[in-house]
Amino acid sequence: MLRIEHLSKTYGNKKAVDDLNLHIAPGEIYGFIGHNGAGKTTTLKSVAGILQFDTGEIYIDGKSIRTQPLECKRSFAYIPDNPDLYDYMTGIKYLNFIADIFHISAADRQMRIRKYGDLFELTDDLAQPIAAYSHGMKQKLAIISAWLHQPKLILMDEPFVGLDPKASHLLKGMMREVCDAGGAIFFSTHVLEVAEKLCDKVAIIKGGKLIRSGTMETVKGDDSLEDVFLELEGESC
Amino acid sequence: MLKLLLKKQLLEIFQVYYYDAKKNRARSKVSTVLHFLLFALLVFGLLGGIFTFLAVKLCTPLLTAGMDWLYFALMGLISVLLGAFGSVFNTYAGVYLPKDNDLLLSMPIPVSALVGARLAGVYLMGLLYSAIVILPAVLVYWGTAGVTLPAILGGLLLTLLISIFVLTISCMLGWMVARISQKLKHKSLITVLVSLAVFCLYYFVYFRAQTMIQQLLTNAAVYGARIKGSAYPVYLFGSVGVGDVKASIIVSAAVAVLFGLMWLLLSHSFLQITTATGKVARREYREAPSRQRSISTALLCREFSRFAASPSYMLNCGLGTFLMPVCGIAVLWKGRELFAVLDAIFAEPPDSVPFLLCVMLCSLASMNFMTAPSVSLEGKSLWLLQSLPVEPWRVLHAKIRMQLLLTGLPLLLCIGCTAAVYPLHPMHLLMLLLFVGSYTLLMALVGLFLGVKMPTLTWTNEIMPIKQGAPVMITLFCGFGYMVLLFVGFMFLPGWMLGFLGYMSCFVGANLLLSVLIYLWLRKQGVASFSAL
Repeated sequence: MLRIEHLSKTYGNKKAVDDLNLHIAPGEIYGFIGHNGAGKTTTLKSVAGILQFDTGEIYIDGKSIRTQPLECKRSFAYIPDNPDLYDYMTGIKYLNFIADIFHISAADRQMRIRKYGDLFELTDDLAQPIAAYSHGMKQKLAIISAWLHQPKLILMDEPFVGLDPKASHLLKGMMREVCDAGGAIFFSTHVLEVAEKLCDKVAIIKGGKLIRSGTMETVKGDDSLEDVFLELEGESC
Repeated sequence: MLKLLLKKQLLEIFQVYYYDAKKNRARSKVSTVLHFLLFALLVFGLLGGIFTFLAVKLCTPLLTAGMDWLYFALMGLISVLLGAFGSVFNTYAGVYLPKDNDLLLSMPIPVSALVGARLAGVYLMGLLYSAIVILPAVLVYWGTAGVTLPAILGGLLLTLLISIFVLTISCMLGWMVARISQKLKHKSLITVLVSLAVFCLYYFVYFRAQTMIQQLLTNAAVYGARIKGSAYPVYLFGSVGVGDVKASIIVSAAVAVLFGLMWLLLSHSFLQITTATGKVARREYREAPSRQRSISTALLCREFSRFAASPSYMLNCGLGTFLMPVCGIAVLWKGRELFAVLDAIFAEPPDSVPFLLCVMLCSLASMNFMTAPSVSLEGKSLWLLQSLPVEPWRVLHAKIRMQLLLTGLPLLLCIGCTAAVYPLHPMHLLMLLLFVGSYTLLMALVGLFLGVKMPTLTWTNEIMPIKQGAPVMITLFCGFGYMVLLFVGFMFLPGWMLGFLGYMSCFVGANLLLSVLIYLWLRKQGVASFSAL
């Protein structure tokens, strides 16, 4: 579903991502963990086609994000760490805009907006301007818009930040549903307990370099993910 | 604390001169200096030049008549009018709506320091606009009457008092807008309508002032005595510039009292207004069948939503859209008389009236430059367009289409109204349409070209890209320069020898050629630059 090959990205003299290789197969929830500034957001933005990387290749469903960006973007959804949406639109206008971009029929969008709106208890607020939304509401709206076009791959940067416990629980269930239907999830998080319980595979990145990756069992063994992460962080230091 | 906040405020206002958003790094000292020089040249060189010309025209006759105070009163009032008009539109947004208000209010910062820093921003804008008028006036006076100590002190004091008075008026109006907008449902529309009313009032006063100035120059002594008798504060105000000690003390005290009152009002209400959530009834969502739109339509509607949601954007970059229908109606109402007068005055060179029509329509179209700040206005939500399956060109194209629609349709209305009262030769009408159409296209493309070349995505207040951004400034002056070239070339240079059709054909050709070049740049390099932002 997603293949990252020898990805490198430099900002000035700083190597944000250094020769990163990852493969995310259909049906997998792949967690991406690392300290602040490790290169998680840079990697996710590069996969999403927001950031132009220096070397390497990123393939989504066999297509290169560099040479076939539109085809790739049609098959995934991206939720950034800070959902800066269009404040000047209402929630429903925003969802309709996203639905138009993905050519979702009127009937389908109505059904999905109702379904996810009700699920996240956001339906009543859809007529409000996004500027009036709280951070959590914006995050919920970003999640609804991501799920609206039923993407095969969902990329999320810290998706649980700002969500209430109920919405977090819902999101975890929805992530599993996507993967059960043959899709894949690639997300970054600092909440190691969530990663441990939710992810099929995990990758740990430090200073732009991948220091460990694989199934949850291979990466953590008998220890907790937190212990392994802290140990690896210490080793690298 | 205030010093720190002021530094932040100044950094924010002049960010574009210190920071290259495109390269994501600080500018070199040379680049910063060059940017400041360019800004000074555009603002003080061009606008200041116009008011220097006015000052020169007024100064000698009034000084000869012994009416020095009247000279300063006139120039001072124009300065107040321009200063207040220039800064009033962004006072509300600049004082009450910056995105970092919440952050700063959560810190141990006295509210008065925050208000002070915000006012400093408004003061700078007001000072900039008012100084464009009053500084040339003072300098021309010194040059004509001689540099004496009272004249130096009076000129400097008058400049200072005007800037504080402008700040007071702007803040009062900003406060009124804030209070009203707390209770309004359609804030954007009402703000635009109120601002337009202020705008019309400004021009009413401005045009009256033109006539009054002419009359004053011919009967300076009579009018001077009349103003001194019935509007004594105006006499005192003007006398400050001459260096009159008594007038300086009285006017300074009056300005200080007004400023004090405004300060009290603002510092008492700032917290309440800034933290208010609004008392407007919550809109209830009712599910309604939606229509599937094409990507192009969706992107165009997004541009319209952006435009309609921001009074600052509408007023600063789309004023022509609102004024053109007003002008069209005015032409229907008073057009016959106007064109009769123009026909009589501009009998030579031939076809001057159709030419002047082109210049007038061109100046109205120049008030629209929505494309110039549109890229910067994407701001922090740019990630959305970059992550969606949308070709970057479509995004840029939607921006161009919005400007073309919002300028082209009102222009057509204006042309229709004009043609109804002033029948034009079919070839002249065709040329008018071709010229206005090609100019509108060129301006939209120039604005977008500059917007893509010089974007500022890291703003905390949308006023920055809308009003202070380099693309907006340069587009504005490009339009202004174009009009001057067009007018001077025909009326004062031998352009008229080509005849109206020949002369305008050259401009249409140049417009189309430039448009094609910029269009090609946008399709290739523009798209690449936009994608790499």
